[in-house]
Amino acid sequence: MSGDARGWHMALVPDRLINPPKDASAPLPDVLRILEANRYGVLQLPPAGEHGLLLAVIADQVAEYSHHGYAVVAIGVQGIPSQGLHWRRLARLLQQRGVALPPRHLLRSRADAGAEGERLATFLADYDLPVEEQRRWRV
Amino acid sequence: MEHNPPRKVALIASCLLNQNAKVCQGANYPGVVSPVVEALRSRGYLLQQLPCPELAFAGVRRWWAVYEQYDTPAYRAHCQRLAQAIAPLIEQYLRQGDDLILIGLDGSPSTGVRFTSSQPEWGGRPNRPEDDWKIVPRRGIWIEELEAELARRGLPPIPATGWALDMGRFDEAGARRDLEQFLDDRQSNTSPRVDPVVR
Repeated sequence: MSGDARGWHMALVPDRLINPPKDASAPLPDVLRILEANRYGVLQLPPAGEHGLLLAVIADQVAEYSHHGYAVVAIGVQGIPSQGLHWRRLARLLQQRGVALPPRHLLRSRADAGAEGERLATFLADYDLPVEEQRRWRV
Repeated sequence: MEHNPPRKVALIASCLLNQNAKVCQGANYPGVVSPVVEALRSRGYLLQQLPCPELAFAGVRRWWAVYEQYDTPAYRAHCQRLAQAIAPLIEQYLRQGDDLILIGLDGSPSTGVRFTSSQPEWGGRPNRPEDDWKIVPRRGIWIEELEAELARRGLPPIPATGWALDMGRFDEAGARRDLEQFLDDRQSNTSPRVDPVVR
């Protein structure tokens, strides 16, 4: 895709990591900044609650990306319900659309934020689709 | 009884957090559009990404198009479904008394706020860069349908502007000044409010 800067990578990200609560007892790394530095886009998941239709819309988008050569991962947070990812519901929606579950990286909220940030950056940098898939789509 | 202070929340076009959503040959950044995110976060805004209507409708390998090509009953119905998916979250923010703004993508046939792209004669195979289109002062179709859904719910209009990415020639410095002006002007204005509830 000449003249196009897209990074072909994106992450499903809990609302809590995009909009961290100000009173968080244990700070988490600045995930948006780490994603940007690693050329990832963001698919924001809603906060906890009933968001059935919105999750279906997000699953439609993940399916479209996954079927066309984009690398999709999920970043969750240990210790919060469904890791902030609505994981069970999202998994069911993705299975209905014939999409394999994206690789999942969990941040540890009680660990050092700097070290967790480095661990996340390594995970992001290391992940991509098989070379054949990249060659098929990313032209 | 304790009232939490209102939060500042920016509803932002999907592609401002994910340039992979852009039409073929339309991505100007790898992923996150950092000038927009920086401008919003430095002013204390929470971010709420909107769904991308074109991606889910025409796919990630779609051609570029103008307003008139997307102005079909099927596409509007699709946008209405997306609006119904995100509106409850927006309504929740508004009923909590939060201060909302909307940042779209000026020049986009779907997500344009101040401007959209127009060429009633367009059709068939695109021929870039020879193709010519106009930028006209009008909402894109997705924004029209989103605002209609919010109005149906009795919610007030949300102050909105667009990041001028799809206006033909992209001027990042100009787009940044424009956005920052909008945000700074908002500081002294009152926000749209609906019957707030106690959090």
